Amino acid sequence: MTDYDVLVVGAGIGGMESALKLGDMGYRVLLVEKEASVGGKMILLSKVFPTLDCASCISTPKMAASIHHPNVTTLTYSEVGGITRGSAGRFQAKVTRKARFVNETTCTGCQLCETACTVAVPDQFNADMIQRRAAYIAFPQAVPKKAVIERAGSSPCSYTCPAGIQAHGYVSLIRSGEYEKAFQLVLDATPLVGTLGRACYAPCELECTRGSIEGPLPIRRLKRFIADIHYDKFDGPGIEIPEPNGHKVAIVGTGPAGLTAAWQLARKGYGVKMFEAAPKAGGFLRLAIPAYRLPSEIVEQDIANVTALGVEIATSAPVQDLDSLHEEGYEAVLLATGTPLSTKLGVPGDELDGVLSGVAFLRAVKLGEGIDLADQRVVVIGGGNVAMDTARTARRLGAREVTVVYRRTRSEMPAHHVEADDTEKEGVRFVFQAAPVAVLDDGRGATRGLRCSRMAPAKAGASGRSRPEPVPGSEFEIACEVIIGAIGMAPDTDGFSAQVRTNPNGTLAVDPETLQSGSAWLFAAGDVVSGASDITRATGQGQRAAHMIDRWIRGLQLDGFDLRLPVVDKDQVLARQKAYRLAVPLDPSEVLSAAPTDFREVELPMTEAEAHRGAGLCLDCGVCSECGECVDACPVDDCIDLRARDQVLDVEVGAVVVATGFKLFAADLKPEYGYGTFKNVISGTQMDRLLAPTRPFNTILRPGDGKVPERIAYVLCTGSRDETVGNPLCSRFCCMYSIKQNQLIMGALPIADVTVHYMDIRAPGKRYDEFYEQAKAMGANYVKGRVARITEKENGDLVLRYEDIEHGGGLVEAEYDLVVLAVGVQPNSDAQALFPEGDLAVDEFRYVAETDEDANPGQTSIPGVYVAGAASGAKDIADSILHAGSTVAQVAAYLEHAKVPA
Amino acid sequence: MTGRERRIGVYVCHCGGNISDHVDIDQVVAAAQAETGVVVARQMMFACSDSGQGDMERDIKEQHLDGLVVASCSPKLHVVTFRGVAKRAGLNPYEYTQVNVREQASWIHSDDEQSTTDKAISLVKAGIARTRLSEPLEPLVVETTQKTLVVGGGVAGLRAAIGLADIGLGVFLVERAAELGGWVGRFDEMYPTGKNGRALIASLITEVRRRPAISVFTGAELVSKSGSFGNYRVGIRIGGSTPETLSVEVGSIIVATGFETYQPEVGEFGYGIEGVVTLPEFKEAIDHSSGPLMYHGTPVRNVVYVYCVGSRQSADTPAANAYCSRYCCAATVAASVQLASRDAQVHQYHLYRDMRTYGKFELMYTESRKLGSVYLKFADDAPPAVARDDSGRLVVTVRDLLTGGEELAIAADLVVLVTGMIPRKNEELVSVLKLPLGTDGFFNEIHPKLRPVETVVDGVYIAGTCQGPRNSSESVASGLAAVTQSAVILKKGFAELDPLVAVVDADACTACGLCLDACPYGAIEMTLGEGKSVAIISETGCKGCGGCVPVCPDNAIDLRGYTDAQISAMIDSLLEVPVA
Repeated sequence: MTDYDVLVVGAGIGGMESALKLGDMGYRVLLVEKEASVGGKMILLSKVFPTLDCASCISTPKMAASIHHPNVTTLTYSEVGGITRGSAGRFQAKVTRKARFVNETTCTGCQLCETACTVAVPDQFNADMIQRRAAYIAFPQAVPKKAVIERAGSSPCSYTCPAGIQAHGYVSLIRSGEYEKAFQLVLDATPLVGTLGRACYAPCELECTRGSIEGPLPIRRLKRFIADIHYDKFDGPGIEIPEPNGHKVAIVGTGPAGLTAAWQLARKGYGVKMFEAAPKAGGFLRLAIPAYRLPSEIVEQDIANVTALGVEIATSAPVQDLDSLHEEGYEAVLLATGTPLSTKLGVPGDELDGVLSGVAFLRAVKLGEGIDLADQRVVVIGGGNVAMDTARTARRLGAREVTVVYRRTRSEMPAHHVEADDTEKEGVRFVFQAAPVAVLDDGRGATRGLRCSRMAPAKAGASGRSRPEPVPGSEFEIACEVIIGAIGMAPDTDGFSAQVRTNPNGTLAVDPETLQSGSAWLFAAGDVVSGASDITRATGQGQRAAHMIDRWIRGLQLDGFDLRLPVVDKDQVLARQKAYRLAVPLDPSEVLSAAPTDFREVELPMTEAEAHRGAGLCLDCGVCSECGECVDACPVDDCIDLRARDQVLDVEVGAVVVATGFKLFAADLKPEYGYGTFKNVISGTQMDRLLAPTRPFNTILRPGDGKVPERIAYVLCTGSRDETVGNPLCSRFCCMYSIKQNQLIMGALPIADVTVHYMDIRAPGKRYDEFYEQAKAMGANYVKGRVARITEKENGDLVLRYEDIEHGGGLVEAEYDLVVLAVGVQPNSDAQALFPEGDLAVDEFRYVAETDEDANPGQTSIPGVYVAGAASGAKDIADSILHAGSTVAQVAAYLEHAKVPA
Repeated sequence: MTGRERRIGVYVCHCGGNISDHVDIDQVVAAAQAETGVVVARQMMFACSDSGQGDMERDIKEQHLDGLVVASCSPKLHVVTFRGVAKRAGLNPYEYTQVNVREQASWIHSDDEQSTTDKAISLVKAGIARTRLSEPLEPLVVETTQKTLVVGGGVAGLRAAIGLADIGLGVFLVERAAELGGWVGRFDEMYPTGKNGRALIASLITEVRRRPAISVFTGAELVSKSGSFGNYRVGIRIGGSTPETLSVEVGSIIVATGFETYQPEVGEFGYGIEGVVTLPEFKEAIDHSSGPLMYHGTPVRNVVYVYCVGSRQSADTPAANAYCSRYCCAATVAASVQLASRDAQVHQYHLYRDMRTYGKFELMYTESRKLGSVYLKFADDAPPAVARDDSGRLVVTVRDLLTGGEELAIAADLVVLVTGMIPRKNEELVSVLKLPLGTDGFFNEIHPKLRPVETVVDGVYIAGTCQGPRNSSESVASGLAAVTQSAVILKKGFAELDPLVAVVDADACTACGLCLDACPYGAIEMTLGEGKSVAIISETGCKGCGGCVPVCPDNAIDLRGYTDAQISAMIDSLLEVPVA
C-alpha cells in the first residue's frame, strides 16, 4: 500500500496543472494517466487561441515538470479504478499499470523498436490520419519518452494454434518481406515448417477475423511459402548449433510430437536420442499422410532441422524397456509413439482377403510396397481425414471405383471440409448415412462386396452427438474387391504398462498440464496421450513436453508454458480497423483431376505477389503480432519483454482530483456530413494535426488525393447544440479553435479561401472577440446558417447545401476542396468508472456534477473528491487551467482540515 | 577580457518547424560549433521536450559543460525550464543563456531564409559571448510572510479570503465600500443554478467571520506598498470619522476589485428616453418585484433587449470597447427566463449579434425560446434604433437577418440595453501596485495559460472581474486560483528570487543620487557608508531592470548576469557579423 496526499486522475492540462500546483504546495501527489504520455489533448494541438502560442511550448514545461517534480509521482499507461473511502476518511484506490512490454527504466527512447515493428495501426495521436507502429512512442514530445508495445490481446490465429506458432507474427513478417525471419519464427515453435505449411488443417484460418469479411487469410499456405524459400537456400534450420548442456533425453517415437520435443530440447543444448520402431523416421508424416498432400522430401527437410542440431535418430529400433533406457543415462524419457493401431471393422467377414485398415494401407504405400489397385473397386469406411487420404490414395493406385461409406451426414464428417471436397473432386463417391453390416465372401476367402445398412440419427446420447442407428430393412450391397476400414486408431502401449498407468482406451494417463507420468522421469506426449488427433495438436504436445522436461531437469516448477494473453474480441478489431475493405479471396491454386494417377503435390506454391497480397490483408487483431522484431532491434538487454503483464497497485490517498477530460464528438454520427465516407471531410482535430508543428504531412493537404486545398469550409456546431444527436449543449471552444485554424490556414496557404458556416460565433473571453475580428480582417468569411447536407463530387470536391441567412435566406450550394467539421465535446465516462457505480454524481448529460458551482466550483458529490477541467463540462484551455487552480485551493483546504481532528 | 577556459554547449531548437521553417538550423549549429569555448553544438526538434532536456542534461554531465546556450523561443516561456535542466545536471543555472531565435528571427522574418539565418547566427554568437563571461550565482532566498492581502470584498475576494484561511494563511480583507458583497450581494436569482446572490454573499460573510485568521476592513483602501516579494508592507487607510492608516506585512496580494457596468451615453440606443434601461437596472427591477413586471405603474407587456451595448464596438467608435463582455448574453437570457416564468403574458424580443450562451448556458437559451422569447439577429453594421414615435410609443426598429432582412418595428414598454462590464477606475491602486493594464483597460495577467492569475509584479495576483468580464462562479474560481498561487509561494515559508540584480561598487560611488531617480521600484537608498554616503540597492527590491546602470556617471553600478563586460562582448559579437 502506497500513500499519497492526493490522487490526480488524468494528465491532460487540467490534471497536470492540479498535480503541479499541489506538489508546489508541498503535498505528495500521484498523477495517473491512461495514455503512454502525459499531455492530454492539448499537446496534440497546433497553436492555441487567442495568443497563437504553440501548444507544445505551453505544454512541454508542464509535462516535463510532471515527471521531474519532487512531490509528484507520475504513472503513465495506467488506469485507476475502485476508489472507495476507507478508514479515517482516506481513499483506497487500485491503479492498474498496464503492461508496456518495455522496461520504462531502461528504455532510452531510441525508437529502434518502432522502426523494426512490422505492424501499423491508425495513429490516435494524429487523429487516425496516418498510421503508427504497434511498438511506438506516442509523439515526439512524449513524456516520458519511453516506448510502449500495444497488445490488445492474442490474435485469434496465434491464440488458437495448437502448435503454439505465432501465426500473426509470421504473417506480419511476410508482409514486411522478411521471409527468413518468418521461417525462424515458426522454428521457434516447431521444426515442421514445411510439413505444417502443407498438411496442417489450419485452425488459425477458421478463427481469422477476416473470415467474417471475404474469407480468412491463407495462413497455412503462407507458411509453406516461407518454408519453400528457406529450403531453396538452406539445408537444415539455418541456426547456430547450441552449446551442449550435458543433459541427455531419450524420445521414443519420431512423429510430430517427438520431433518437436527433440527440436526444442536440442535448441536448449540437450543431447537427444530418438528411437523409432519403423524403418523410417517421421511417424504419420512419413508413413500415413499421402505424398500428394505432403511430399516425403518435405518431411525429410523438416527432420533434417532436428538432426542438424545433433539429435540422433535410431530407426527400426522399438523400445521395450524404458527403465534400462533411463538407467543408460537419459535423465528423462518421452513417449510419443502415437496411435499406430487400427480399429477393426467388427463385422462378419472382416478377416477376409481384401479387407485392410486405412493406416496399414497408407503405410504400405508410403513404404513403397507396390500395391496395385488397377481396375479394382474399393470401399473406404469412415469419414475422417484418414478415410479421405485412403480414398484418394486408392484412386491414385488405379482403383476403378472408390466409395466412401460414412454413417452420418456430410456435414457431420470429421474430415476437414477441404479434404472432403477434394476427395469428391477426384472422383470418389460418397455414401452417407450407411454403415457396414457384413463383408461378403466371394467363396474363395476374398471380398466380393460390402453389405450396408442405412442409418438414421437417433436421440442425442450422453456425449451430445447423436448415435446413428440402422434403419430396419434398409440393407443394400456395394460390390467391391477391396474394403479399407478407417474408423479409428489406437495407441500401442501394452509394453509401457509397467511404468505408466494406461486408460481403458489404451492411452497413457499422464498429468495433462505437465505431461509427467507417475515416474517423474517419464513423460508422454501426442496422440499416445490424447488419442488420435492431428499433427498440429501433436506438435503442440511435443513443445509442451520439451518445456516441462527442461524445467524438471533444471529443478524448476512445471509451469509457465502457456503465455498467451486472452484472445481479442473480433468485433472490437473490426471497429478499430475502419479502413479494411472487401478483398477478392486468393485462388486456392490446387490442381485436381477427376482421375488422378500420380502422387504429385496437388497444391501449387504461392507466388511472392500472392503471398504479399495474402499477408497484406491481415487486420492485426492483437495489434502486436509477436513477431519479435522489436526484441531483436532493442539495443538494451531484456528491455522488451512480451511476457510482461499488468500490475495492480493499491494506493491510499487523502483526496482525489478527477481530471479525465472529455471526448470529442464522433463526426460520423452526422451522416449527412459524410465524415468517414467522403475523404475530404475531416474533423477539426484532424485539421489541427495538419497545422501542428509535428504535422503528419508537413503541409495542409486534403486526405483524398493529397491536393493542397484552395477552398476550405468549416461547419461549426457539428455534434453540438444539436438535439438530433442528443447534445443540446454548446461545446464552447469550437468557434475559437476554428477561428484559430482559419488564421493559421490563411498564413500557411495565402491563396486559400476560408469560409465558416456558423450558428453564432461564440468568442466570449479575454481577447477572444478581438481574435475573431482579426480573422475577419485577414479575409476569413463567416456565413450565418447551418449546413444541411454535404455531397461529394467525382473529383473529391464537396458540395455544401445551406441556407444563406444573411443574404435573403435562400438555399445555396457551394463547392469546396476540403470541409472541416468543428466537432465538439462529449462527456468522458471514464470519470464514473473510477468509483463504484453511482458513487460519483453526474449531471443530466453525464458530466461530473459540481454540487456547489457558485461557491465551490470543482466540488463533487463525494467529500474529498474534486473535479478539474473539462470533466465537468466543456472548457477551453484557459478556463481548464483556472478551474484546476480553483480546485487545488479546495483540495488543500480539505487536506488541511483533515489534519485537524474534528 | 580574459576569462577561464569555457566548455559551452549550444542547443538550437527547430520548435517543430516554428524556427526551422525559416532558419537553416544546420548553418546555425555549424556557426556555433566554430565559436571559441563551444564544445557541443546540437540541434533539437523540441529543446523543451523531455527528451531534449534529457539530451542536454547528459551532455552537461558527460562533457563537463560549464556554460549552456539554448537558442529557441522567448525567455519568458522557457527560462525556468532550462534553468531546471542546468540545475538537475549540476550546472549553475545562471551559467545558461537563452537566445530567442523564434520571436526575434523566424517569426518576424519569414520572407528571406538566409537573412533570417544570419540573424539567428548573430544572436546565438552574442549569447555565446555572454556565456563566456558568465559567473555562477546563487538565488536570493527570502523568508516569506504567511499572510495575504485581499483587495476587494466581492464574491471573488470573499471566497479567496476563506480559501486562504483554510490552508493556514493569515488574511487582511480590504473593501472600499462600507459593506462586503460587491455586485453579487445585490442580486437575487443568478444563472444558471438559480442561486440567490444575496444568500450566497451572506453565507460567505458568515464563513469569513468564523475564521479568526481573516481581518476585515470595510470602508478601507490600500494606499501604499513597499518591500519586496514575499514581504510587502502595505498601508491600509481605514475611513470613517477619524481616518487612520494601518501598516501590515503580507507575503502576497490578491486584487479582486471587480468591474463597473457600461453606462450608455444619452441617446445611445435611446438611452435617456423613459422606458430605456440598462441590464443592471432591469435586473434590479425584476429582483425587487414579483408577478408581472411593472414600470412606472403600468405592467410591462413588451420587452425589447438590445444586446452588445458598449461591447464589441467597432473600431470607429470613440474609445471603443472592442471586447465581448462574456457574461451579458447568458445573464440576459436568464433574466428573460426569470420574467417569463412569472408572467406568461409577457412578450420578449431579443435583438442580438451572436448569442453567446456558451457551454451549458445553451440550455437557458433553449428554455427562453420555449417560453416565448423571440430572437432577432441584426447585422454588426446595422444596429437597431430606439425612439419614441409620433404617438409617443417606444419603438425599436431593426432589420432582422433571420427573416431575410425584414425591417421590423417593435413597440416596447421597456427597452433593456444589454450593457457589459467595463474596467473599474482604480488609478490609485494601479499606481500603488504598479499593475499593468491590457488594451481593454482590465488588469493584465502575465500569460492566460501559463500564469493566468499572476501579474508582472511578483506576488501580486488578480482575480475576478478586475481581470476581464466573467460571471459569479467564474470569478469565484479565479479567486481560488489566486489562493492556490499564493499558497504555492507562501506555504513553504521562503521564496527564491533571481540574483540578477544591480550592485554598487561602494568605492566608485560618489553619492550623486542619479540612480535613486532612475529606479522605478524605489529599491535604492542612499546610506552613510564608511565615512561617505553611498547608494545601496536592496537585493529583494531590485528587479534587475538595469535602469540605474547607464545613468551612473562613475560606472559604479553593474548588473549581475548582464555585466557591462558581458553586454559589451555581446555587442562586439553582434557587430562582427557583416549585416547583408
